[in-house]
Amino acid sequence: MDQLTQPAKLSEAEILPVLKQFITEVIGEEFVEDLDITAASSFTKDLEMDSIEIVAFSEKVKNYFGKDIDFTGWLSNMDLDQIISLNLGDITKYIQSCL
Amino acid sequence: MPVVELPHTRIHLQEMNKGAAETVLMVHGMFTNLSIWYFNIAPILAERYHVVLYDLKGHGMSDRSQHGYDLQSMSDELLALMNTLQLTSVHLAGYSYGGLIALKTAIRYPEKIKKLAVIESPNPYEQETMNVVDVYSKELLVHFVNGQGGHSPAKMGKRQLERRHRLYEFLLKESTIRQDMQQERHFFSNGGIKDIPHETLLIYGKDSDCVSAGLELQEKIKDARLLFVNGDHNIPVQEPFTIGNALKDFFETQD
Repeated sequence: MDQLTQPAKLSEAEILPVLKQFITEVIGEEFVEDLDITAASSFTKDLEMDSIEIVAFSEKVKNYFGKDIDFTGWLSNMDLDQIISLNLGDITKYIQSCL
Repeated sequence: MPVVELPHTRIHLQEMNKGAAETVLMVHGMFTNLSIWYFNIAPILAERYHVVLYDLKGHGMSDRSQHGYDLQSMSDELLALMNTLQLTSVHLAGYSYGGLIALKTAIRYPEKIKKLAVIESPNPYEQETMNVVDVYSKELLVHFVNGQGGHSPAKMGKRQLERRHRLYEFLLKESTIRQDMQQERHFFSNGGIKDIPHETLLIYGKDSDCVSAGLELQEKIKDARLLFVNGDHNIPVQEPFTIGNALKDFFETQD
């Protein structure tokens, strides 16, 4: 899934399912089944992701959306507490603003 | 997930600013993983350097290994990684146990290292300090997992708890990591540290239990400078921007 390149201009509603798929790949389908993943879901509180899983998620975002977004650069301006309390809506908005 | 196959294990690594003229290689500590660098410290260094982060075996997303956590084996792993990536020499930075691996690598392969940075490495002789570091490491994980400041362990979700539990069960009960580090207890006195020729930056937390180890390293390494920053053993999380900028300045400065 993260091999695709040059995604067309996507709406926020179109980006969210892509992020959900990445989360499924990172934490495993069996865990995702029990989760209600929405734009309001945060990395740690709701999705129970730890920092190395957020790294894996970030890599998938970078590989999929390509050079149009500097996802790591965006995250690097935040401290760790801010990063792990991000929700998928924040990330979707950021990605959408770059495409 | 980027991985490299080394002779005895498969290692997860992350690279930033590939193609830059010089490389900084970063080694995390016991019970943590490369994410300790990934979000804040590595991007600062990647403004100028090719940065290589990797998960030590048994940690993060690298393969598990029951044996070979002594400093010699871990420096062999580091060298194998450098060879696989065709890195002839690097600036090397290590945190805690990763700093001990960095020191060992600098002793054994001095020509492979340009400058050396050691953050919060304990003296393995001080088992009490090692235990404190162990406790800190556990709290650090809790901190990462929960996104909470300070050191107060907080409620974890079931999946996170199970992951943490599996990591500790494996490393502490099924691997030789504790025994291997016991055997390193004379590393500061017999390990050749006084022969390290590299320009070295030591970074320690003002309130850390490891301060005495920092002072001892400063005394033993000929060309070492000791920098204190606010915080304790957890300074990479407490002061990531201070540490990232200190490392960048240090690696950039010409003699």
